[in-house]
Amino acid sequence: MDNKEGKGLHRNAQDIVNQLSIILRTAQIHDPGNIAVTTAIEKFLPLISQFADGRQDIVLELVGEFFYIDDTRIRYSLEYLLSFDFLIREFKKREIGKVIFKEGVGAGDIQLFLNAFIASGFSDTPYEVMSDKIADSENMGVDRLKKIAEGGETDARKVVKKSYFNAVSYTRGVMTKIKSGEKVNIKKAKRIVESMVDQLLEEENLLVGMTAIKDYDEYTYHHSVNVSILSIALGQRMGLSKKILTELGLVALFHDIGKIEVPADLLNKSTNFTDDEWILIKKHPVCGVKAILRLRGLDHTSIRASIVAFEHHLNYDLSGYPVVKRYPELDFYSRIVSLADQYDAMTSSRVYSRIPLAPDKALSVMMERAATQLDPLLFKFFINMIGVFPIGTLVMLDTKELGLVYESDIIFADRPRVLVIIDSGGQRVSGPVVNLAEKDEAGRYLRSVVKTLDPNKYKINLAEYLL
Amino acid sequence: MELTEEIKEAKDILQNIIKSKKTIRMYPQNNPVYMKTIEDSYAKFSSFFDYKDNLSLRIKQNSIYYDSEQIYYNPEKEDNLALFFFKDGLRELTFGRGMLRDELEEFLRIVALDFDRDAIDDDIVTLLWEKDFQNIHYIVDETFLIDMEEEDYQKITEEKAREKVTDVDDLMKAYTDGFMEEDVKTISVVPLSDKDLQTLVKELEKDSAGKTGKLFAIIFEMIYQKEGRSDLEDALSFLKDAIRYSMTYGDIHTVLDAMKRLKEIIDDPLMSEDEKKLLKTLPLFLGSEEIVGSLAEILDSGMEIDGKVFEEFANHLEKNAIAPLVKYLGELKTIRARKYAIEALTVTGRKDMPLLARGLDDQRWYVVRNIIYILRKIGDRRAIEYLLRIVRHSDIRVRKEVIRALGELGSREVVQTLRECLDDPEAQVRVAAAKAFAGIGSEAAKKILLDKISGKAFKERDFEEKKEFFEIISRWKDAEVFDFLVRILKARSFFGRAKMYESKACAAFSLGLIGNKDALPALDKFKDSGNKLLRDFASSAIRKLEYGQ
Repeated sequence: MDNKEGKGLHRNAQDIVNQLSIILRTAQIHDPGNIAVTTAIEKFLPLISQFADGRQDIVLELVGEFFYIDDTRIRYSLEYLLSFDFLIREFKKREIGKVIFKEGVGAGDIQLFLNAFIASGFSDTPYEVMSDKIADSENMGVDRLKKIAEGGETDARKVVKKSYFNAVSYTRGVMTKIKSGEKVNIKKAKRIVESMVDQLLEEENLLVGMTAIKDYDEYTYHHSVNVSILSIALGQRMGLSKKILTELGLVALFHDIGKIEVPADLLNKSTNFTDDEWILIKKHPVCGVKAILRLRGLDHTSIRASIVAFEHHLNYDLSGYPVVKRYPELDFYSRIVSLADQYDAMTSSRVYSRIPLAPDKALSVMMERAATQLDPLLFKFFINMIGVFPIGTLVMLDTKELGLVYESDIIFADRPRVLVIIDSGGQRVSGPVVNLAEKDEAGRYLRSVVKTLDPNKYKINLAEYLL
Repeated sequence: MELTEEIKEAKDILQNIIKSKKTIRMYPQNNPVYMKTIEDSYAKFSSFFDYKDNLSLRIKQNSIYYDSEQIYYNPEKEDNLALFFFKDGLRELTFGRGMLRDELEEFLRIVALDFDRDAIDDDIVTLLWEKDFQNIHYIVDETFLIDMEEEDYQKITEEKAREKVTDVDDLMKAYTDGFMEEDVKTISVVPLSDKDLQTLVKELEKDSAGKTGKLFAIIFEMIYQKEGRSDLEDALSFLKDAIRYSMTYGDIHTVLDAMKRLKEIIDDPLMSEDEKKLLKTLPLFLGSEEIVGSLAEILDSGMEIDGKVFEEFANHLEKNAIAPLVKYLGELKTIRARKYAIEALTVTGRKDMPLLARGLDDQRWYVVRNIIYILRKIGDRRAIEYLLRIVRHSDIRVRKEVIRALGELGSREVVQTLRECLDDPEAQVRVAAAKAFAGIGSEAAKKILLDKISGKAFKERDFEEKKEFFEIISRWKDAEVFDFLVRILKARSFFGRAKMYESKACAAFSLGLIGNKDALPALDKFKDSGNKLLRDFASSAIRKLEYGQ
């Protein structure tokens, strides 16, 4: 396989997902025989035959939140973001895990697939309908969506935890070293962030879940890592490249570096700040700029990190602090980090606001701030990323079960996976984890959130459940 | 393929990687040796993949294994491929059958990097990671990322976090309260639209622009918020770093904006004199040899420069920039670059002309000539003093330039020197001196030239030089010059007739240039002259006078 061919194939795989999505969306508006649909099919078939190039079958598979073709993951790109999301949602709705295109697949087969697809959308047993109808085609097939093995998840959780604590430990080390004037190894920081980027690409929920646990003594270090994770996750939702995600994660990790100039007892103070203490706290963005520029001198990353350190408490409308006199609009990274920072700070108990907010309440507050204090467009991405009920939200289900949101759903933002901690009989339990996107045979959701509660109010230790 | 054969091939591939490391460092990408090395390596991998799906190498500190066989060993620290991978945590490398030639080349280019010598901010794992290879995979040991004393951090922190077990009563209270809570008001999740994505794409495009402008804005905000001299000193030091950085990347525009803003701050009446004094050191930094050196690199790089921006930039340079500008003026490689340097010196030279005039002592003739040109452009008559000192410069090109400058700048005080130059051994210098007199344009100047032309020696000069002189005197379109020319035209002589005809032809030429039709009768007499030169020049002058041709 030569180079052009290799790169072309990857692009071709993205095109296949995109074009399939176009066909299905068009078929939801028009009759499958309509020229708009047939034209879309005509464009799709050459993509398949180009990709096949002598192979007998092409298998498009949905695993977790990602599409694979012949075991190679198709990378997300901003250009195709909506098409990917649409297809993931529609596949999940119908429990389709695989679509197989055999050699000789033609327009007739795609039409058959479309009819099956549309019919299954109205059925309570969508996969069965889909599978039954597609059986008439000799050149196409489907397979049921596989659930991710629980055992695998346990291992992944371990790896994610290790990455998370490595990052916190590194941040702690860096801050200590800078304070004492020692040299800091930025290569390590990059490696740590790269590892977080990898895990966010593979297991977004697990790493984002780690940020929901706030019961640590060393808030500042955990907060820095949390903001880095949430920023990368948001960047990932926006289709940013791995390299940019790393840079974003790195600058987010250092956003609060200026706090090294703030006395530790003040940072960890359990009561409200006095006016003088606030003055001191409000200096940390400028201190951050100084620390970064002194640490590394000037290069692209240190400049971006300085900008974020300076701007992360400035609002979208340039209110906030430090008070600026003549200043351009906020940097793109700063707007991302600012969202992550506000969310993590609001849901934590040891900074600024002494009373932490429940995750869903924090989102409500942020929603009010969108357009004035927060970038409305990025907030839209943020809420799509974190879900309506973010991880760590205490929820009462319509089944009279009490649970903690355990994982959010990338497609169904209001239907997360929930860890049941009190069952419908009022008994304390630890599990199971239930998926709120699951429906019964009649197509009704098995469980829905009816109320949310503040886990802090009831001193619920999230670490006990989520760690 | 048998195992022994596989091992042999794996060994061979590894040796090839080592060999290619040196070649890649030595040759540019388009060099045939470089290309052959890549092709050879790729061919070796391809041949291996004919039998196996992948090639997996296990890495230890000083050795590399294929299967369970050690295929590389090196106990030394230098040029140790195993250690090169091992030190950054790389423990296993796997090349897959689908590997593309480009992937292999990128991989080899990473391996060829000299991490000790080059200032590379990334380790090998980061570089591999950024490439995101589809067919080259690796396993990394991350434990070395954490300091020894931090090894138990996770365990301790987790245990501590889990210690605070949720009280069952609290939990039950949450459950009971849950029934009384208000029903959830769902936050509506507005799905992302195509318009949102388009806006995002625009934001990303905007974000790809340089960030130093923003950094300057931050530093200026730090100046506004300063609480003491040390804050100002910090800001000043960062401003210098930012200028240095911008100049390295050729971003003159951003530096110019920063200097404009600095000027506003310095002009701010609220700023104390002490603070102003401190801030005024920044324009001096802009004119330092370091920054002017960067500017010289920009000018020579061929990078596009907005003339208006450059002019404004030059205006912000202080007189301390003169010496480095003169230094680099002599080192710049392109005409375009020198043109900009001259422009900058014309601006800064006005701030301290004597300092600029020191450049006249430069050993490089072309620098001296440029400085004379700049002094002439500046037009400061005080420069005459310096120019007169080099009027005897050993290089004719310098002498010509200095005479020209003297002609433009001087009057009485330069006459004697210029008069001497009319007798210079070099014709070009003599002509330059004559032109300088024309530039002065005074009656005295005219008289000196007419005397020179009337002199016996003048007749013997080359025709071209004489023609230049006659052309020069034609700028005085008065009766004295007119009569002088007519006299030459009518003069008779039986000796040296060839030279006489040359003088007559020059006089005819000059009369044509003066444009006085009264010369026509005198010219008519020679339109049919037996001397071709005189005939041609007389006819040409007549045409000019009659028809303006």
